Amino acid sequence: MITLTDLVFKWQKQQSNPTLAIAALEIAKGEHVFLHGPSGCGKSTLLSLLAGINRPTSGCLSIFGCELSKLSNSKRDAFRADHIGYIFQNFNLLPYLSPLENVTLGCQFSKQRQKKALVNSMTLNQEAARLLNALGLSEQFHLQNVANLSIGQQQRVAAARAFIGSPELIIADEPTSALDTGNRQAFIKLLFEQAKAANSTLIFVSHDESLQPLFNRNIDLIALQEQLS
Amino acid sequence: MILIKLAISSLYNRRASALLTLFTIAISVMLLLSIERVRVDAKSSFSNTISGTDLIVGARTGDIQLLLSSVFRIGHANNGVSWQSYQYIKQQRGVKWTIPLSLGDSHKGQAVLGTSVDYFQHYKFAKKQSLSFSQGQPFRHLNEVVLGAQVAENLGYSLGDSIVISHGMGNTSFHHHDDNPFTVVGILNATGTPVDKTLHIPLAAIEQIHNTNHTSHEHEHEHEHEHEHEHEHEHEHEHEHEHEHEHEQHDDLIGEPKQITAFLIGFDSPLYTLQVRRNINQFKDEALLAIMPGVTLRELWEMLTIVEKILLLFSMVVVLVSLLGMLTTLLASLNQRRRELAILRSVGARPWHLFALISIESLLTTFWGCLVGCGLFYLLMSLAAGYLQSHAGITITIAMLSGYELMLIGAIMAAGFIVGLIPATRAYFYSLSDGMSIKI
Repeated sequence: MITLTDLVFKWQKQQSNPTLAIAALEIAKGEHVFLHGPSGCGKSTLLSLLAGINRPTSGCLSIFGCELSKLSNSKRDAFRADHIGYIFQNFNLLPYLSPLENVTLGCQFSKQRQKKALVNSMTLNQEAARLLNALGLSEQFHLQNVANLSIGQQQRVAAARAFIGSPELIIADEPTSALDTGNRQAFIKLLFEQAKAANSTLIFVSHDESLQPLFNRNIDLIALQEQLS
Repeated sequence: MILIKLAISSLYNRRASALLTLFTIAISVMLLLSIERVRVDAKSSFSNTISGTDLIVGARTGDIQLLLSSVFRIGHANNGVSWQSYQYIKQQRGVKWTIPLSLGDSHKGQAVLGTSVDYFQHYKFAKKQSLSFSQGQPFRHLNEVVLGAQVAENLGYSLGDSIVISHGMGNTSFHHHDDNPFTVVGILNATGTPVDKTLHIPLAAIEQIHNTNHTSHEHEHEHEHEHEHEHEHEHEHEHEHEHEHEHEQHDDLIGEPKQITAFLIGFDSPLYTLQVRRNINQFKDEALLAIMPGVTLRELWEMLTIVEKILLLFSMVVVLVSLLGMLTTLLASLNQRRRELAILRSVGARPWHLFALISIESLLTTFWGCLVGCGLFYLLMSLAAGYLQSHAGITITIAMLSGYELMLIGAIMAAGFIVGLIPATRAYFYSLSDGMSIKI
């Protein structure tokens, strides 16, 4: 369960209007949330707070019973490594690693993720291969140069990297904006399948409201912030 | 572990610029090591020039001037030591052997040394190594000559050749005496010292050259005289088995010159050295100077340290420039790698992981740079060893890296690491400010 209470974030302390202000928000475990809003409404800021990159200026942010707003920088880093999978908009793979290596990367910085990844498979590489197959990237691509993969294939690798070790929270930051409509739907379906399998909460950020019907809950960030004022 | 793997993969991904950086470091390491090795070996070759000699005695000049003229054949000794003084000092207590040296003549630009047969027995170089013959034997007659290794090689002489020795220094001497030839009877092994560039003839023969040079009258006279000598020699040879003639022959080769340039003394025990040295320096009949070759060699080297220091400074600057090159490449690439850093942050890397990643990269580059540099250094040294030996008299030792050289490499690695801390720190703060969204 994710709980935000009276959350305010300002880049600078003296800033008069807060960049982000949310009175209350609750997201249940296992929920698939569609978070939308126009550019500049604070989507990225909210994500950086959820991912533990930044700390709220005031208010409370707790994720699965952990008071993220009270943790130190390094503890938040550790929390992210252990509990959060992150999918970027695009070009988010390390070009010098193979798809398989890119996927297992998530387990290299967290013992917990590594342990959970090894529940399903004997080795990390097997688990990575399993996830890539499940996301529709066949074996022949697993050891190829990342740069030779199509955008759609790259996005599957990125998703597998977020899902490895079954993190409780998956944050997808406009992951489909580089895909065409057909691929978008297919990709989101795959995301849902994996999120269900891992029992992960999924927060999906996009300004493409046509995707909205696919989700069981959607949050308009503008509306959410207006509740406060 | 994962960081090292990431660093290697990342460097491999940027191999063109990484290799260039690596090679600039390698070349600077090679340069530094080479300069160091040549410097150290030059110093040891230098101090290896003479050993086993306790004192060098000559007319009173400067210590270094006497050393240069007597051992290195550089410069002129204006005065000599009178024969009487030499004979007197020779008989002092504790004197084991003396070697008279008479310099000032040349053959095709190479120094001619008039000396006694003792030279081949007592003159030592390097770690008390005696001179050895690659061919032939010491001179036994007035008109015989023993060549240094380089003289024989450069001028293409071999045993049995006849050569002419002229009076004075330099290639173009005023007096050439084609009618006074010497026969090559011995060629010495290479020593890496000025001995290699010297022609050795009997002391008495020097006197003979000088006398024949003065007037044509005397010249003819000497010529006849020499013939007589030859006759005597042959005569002696006939009687070789019956008489103990070595003593006579010895005298014959030394003669009784008015003066000699300098002489070397070896003592029964080095304890005599200081005492005799003081006596010689306070000698009443003649202004003489006795020097201890080891001490004066060191003094001479001290004078050359400025050159040595400049060389060292230059190679240090080269190392510095190569490290700055690495800094430039790392900083330039860092901006392009902000996305890479952000991705690593998103999968759970802490800022210090990224700091370590960049540090490892710079350390790896310097490490391989040093390794390749060492390889290049050995390659260069093995290629240059022959040239340095024959042209500069510096014997290059192709041995393992010395402790000092390892320390230099260690210092370069440390410097590389410290330089790498600058981009590493930037990576640290980038990762904090960028977070996971790259604002470029």
